[in-house]
Amino acid sequence: MSRKKKRQFEQKTEETSTEFSSEDFEFARRDEERIYDKKFETKPVGFFRDAMKRFAKNRYNVYATIILLTLVLLAIFVPAFTTKNITGQEPQLRFLPPRIPVVEHLGIADGTSRVENVRVDPDTVDLEEDFGLPSEDRYRHEYIVEDSVEANYRYCDDIAESCFGGQNVLTHDGEDTFTILEAPEFWVFSDAENPVVEIDIESMSDNPLTELTVFIGDEELGTITEAGTYTFDVDPQTSRLHLEFDAVANEYVSLNSVTLSDDAEEDPLYFYEGYDLAFWSIDGEQSDASYERRDGREMRIDFDFDEYEAAFGQREQSAYSSRDYYALIEEYDEVCEKTVDPDDPERWTFSEGCPVIEVKGQSRPIEWEGEEYYTYHVVLDYAVYQGFDDTPYFLFGTTSNGRDLFAVSWRALRTSLFIGVTASLVNITIGIIYGSIEGYYGGKIDLLLERFAEVMGRIPWLVTLSIASALLGPGVFTLFVILIFSGWIGISGITRTQFYRYKRREYVLASRTLGAKDRRLIFRHILPNGIGTIITTSVLSIPMVIFIESTISYLGFGIGHGVDFNVGPVEFSGVSIGVLLADGQAQMYANPYLTVAPALIIAILMITFNMFGNALRDAFNPSLRGVEE
Amino acid sequence: MIRYTLIRTLWIFIILFIVVSLNFILLRVAPEYPPPDPDQRDIYYERQRDDGFVTRVTLLEEVEEDAERMEEIREHGRELAGVAHFDDRNGTMWVYEDVPIMQQYASWMTNILTEWNWGYSTRIQVNVPVFDVLVSRIPVTVQLNLIALFFYIPIGFTLGIIAALKKNSTTDNAISTLVMIGISVPNFVVMSILVLFFGYTLGWLPTQFPASDIVGIIQLTAVVLPVLALASNPIAHLTRMTRAELTEVLTSDFLLLARTKGLTRPQAVVRHAMRNSMVPLVPGIIFSFVGLLSGSVVIEQIYSIPGTGRIFVRAMQEDDYNLVLGVTAFYTIISLFAVLLVDLSYGIVDPRIRMGARK
Repeated sequence: MSRKKKRQFEQKTEETSTEFSSEDFEFARRDEERIYDKKFETKPVGFFRDAMKRFAKNRYNVYATIILLTLVLLAIFVPAFTTKNITGQEPQLRFLPPRIPVVEHLGIADGTSRVENVRVDPDTVDLEEDFGLPSEDRYRHEYIVEDSVEANYRYCDDIAESCFGGQNVLTHDGEDTFTILEAPEFWVFSDAENPVVEIDIESMSDNPLTELTVFIGDEELGTITEAGTYTFDVDPQTSRLHLEFDAVANEYVSLNSVTLSDDAEEDPLYFYEGYDLAFWSIDGEQSDASYERRDGREMRIDFDFDEYEAAFGQREQSAYSSRDYYALIEEYDEVCEKTVDPDDPERWTFSEGCPVIEVKGQSRPIEWEGEEYYTYHVVLDYAVYQGFDDTPYFLFGTTSNGRDLFAVSWRALRTSLFIGVTASLVNITIGIIYGSIEGYYGGKIDLLLERFAEVMGRIPWLVTLSIASALLGPGVFTLFVILIFSGWIGISGITRTQFYRYKRREYVLASRTLGAKDRRLIFRHILPNGIGTIITTSVLSIPMVIFIESTISYLGFGIGHGVDFNVGPVEFSGVSIGVLLADGQAQMYANPYLTVAPALIIAILMITFNMFGNALRDAFNPSLRGVEE
Repeated sequence: MIRYTLIRTLWIFIILFIVVSLNFILLRVAPEYPPPDPDQRDIYYERQRDDGFVTRVTLLEEVEEDAERMEEIREHGRELAGVAHFDDRNGTMWVYEDVPIMQQYASWMTNILTEWNWGYSTRIQVNVPVFDVLVSRIPVTVQLNLIALFFYIPIGFTLGIIAALKKNSTTDNAISTLVMIGISVPNFVVMSILVLFFGYTLGWLPTQFPASDIVGIIQLTAVVLPVLALASNPIAHLTRMTRAELTEVLTSDFLLLARTKGLTRPQAVVRHAMRNSMVPLVPGIIFSFVGLLSGSVVIEQIYSIPGTGRIFVRAMQEDDYNLVLGVTAFYTIISLFAVLLVDLSYGIVDPRIRMGARK
């Protein structure tokens, strides 16, 4: 208080001193508890609660975490509860395309697959309608989706029934001068009315000396010297047609068709073109002439094929073991009502819902080592036979072993996650211990350990991979060795940095001056500040490990088919996502869905895992405490 | 600075030495798979003898002791009799025995240092020097990786700059999403999806790398997919780093000063912010080459690119360990030199950093 003010104050008190006595004053809050002992009415926000709050702030990260959790839950529960085949071999069900309820009505994932560029069965071809069907052995016609057939044509010049139209070209070689081209059979047309032979020549050599003379039997009908359509009247008889080609070397004649028609019938009596014409025989003086097809069209078709109906429809098996048959009938005892064919006691049918629809007969029994063996010829309802009430849905399709890719994918994800998490846990443990030692003790220990870690970290993964798989061979253990070999270095580095960062902070020093022991310093002051980053790095190291695992398995050096392993009661398949992708790679052209599903799963897993890690990073960053955006 | 450079260089060479030696010794411990063809095998072991990995003993039928030994070897076969190889003809047998591993190691080092002899391939190209096999594959890989490198840098920078300048906008969010995808999805998955979509479904690009004797536009189009797959991850990383660096610089004091001097925002950003934000990115870019190179092992496998990565995988599958040794040495050398370059570049590109200098 300055002297001037003091004087003023003194003056004031002199003026007012008589107006107040001590009774006029009263202690504030005398009745209440003392203020400095009062408890907080709000709850203190702890480290993890605070982290949780910040974690929930970013909506996208929360969604990502939910998706990630869903993936993990699917990976745990789908393989455990699936009713479909995930381990056995079901060659009948291999390569079924995806079929998904609801979506199937939109025309995608409806269990049909587009089959492209298939040869047609020549008997089914309708050239005018551009329609044909494939051979029945491979694609049963009843399962081809209606109106889905699209025909396209390609050039062909081979003597095959599927090669339509075009010409047959007779060419003289080197020294030929005279060749006879003869119809393969005798024409019988003695009853014909005004029969006419029509010969259609596409082209012919320009040489005026080149002649094609038409004979039927011994009767000469006429001579052709240039391209065009020629008709010749013939008398009804039974005889063979032949053409005499008289030309010098290297001359040719190209024939479109040869027809014999008459007035009585609308269709020609005999008609040869393309494939049929190719079977005419040639005979000549030297007979070095060549007779070849040219400019034919071969029909190839694209169509939708209902793979599910084909796989789960009726299926005939001509040799079905009688033992299996009786076991099957016994199993489905309640639904299988037998009706024997009244005409044939060896044939009988079953009621609806029974895996066996019909028995068409049985083989003669064979006796071997005192037991009788015989087989039935049965028609099976394959869906029921496989244990499905109805045609099943394979959401992602089936693999080359006929396994349900949906369940197999989640099983693979379970393996990937297990290996990723376990290897990461080992890495994290080693990393934190190593890093803490480095960071807390510092000095020479730090220097030595750090050099060692650097050498380890600088070894390229190809070197680790080659050494581990050369010495140990592929397998789970090798995989772990590779993953752990240098996986811990990142975390040890972070831990070390965190220790360096916080061990000399003022509050650590303050705590130390107040007498805090090392333990309190580490667990109360250094680690809580550092743990956020360590946890984040640890969590983010899991997708990294899964990434490396899938890469190694993809290349075929990690786990693979047949490398199943058990951890306690849980079975893990050796097929991780990487292995599935490698399988898909081999089938990429024919069955692309085998790649799509595993690729999407691992992509989503990686993205959500990283987003979850980022959310954790924000959550565990104490400097963001209370920051409102 | 000179001292720092020397120390770093020396240290890198020490690591190189350790890694390559370790690799040699551990691969030699693994069982050996010589060429399957008997004649080739004889040539191979004769070469191994020249290189000092095995010794040769000649046994003659006439000598009684030798005859016993020959009988033993014939009866038990190569592995049980404990010999590397034997060549048995007309009453004479040449027996090859492994020399102790450290002696082999010494021979190996000498061969490399004096003759640049990395041994001979046993399975992939039988009896061809490993170095020749490798050299024929390097151009494809390096070419592909360089294209990826020059492709990803401008894209990464551009995206990062756009994201930083339009922070928290829709564009920024879109770029961040892409970055997240690029960082997360493994490159072989990206490659599979790309091949599936552009190769098989759309049919725009080849589904396999064409053989080198096929000429034409396909040689160019074949590069597109592997480069895209290789670049997806580096682009994402570079974008993220550029965005972070530029955001930090944009809020710095010297940029405010530049603005107060009267520079417009674009001027300030281009002349001051960008230059400064590029500095910390340079080491990352150098190092990304190593990432590209090792990432291309899988890509080459998927796309059948005849590069070093594919030869590595094949050599591993067929147990051609000499070749494996050569390829891994190649990758080790490249990655360690990249590390060295990065270490040195920290000092060179940013004058504010003087690593290893006395305080």
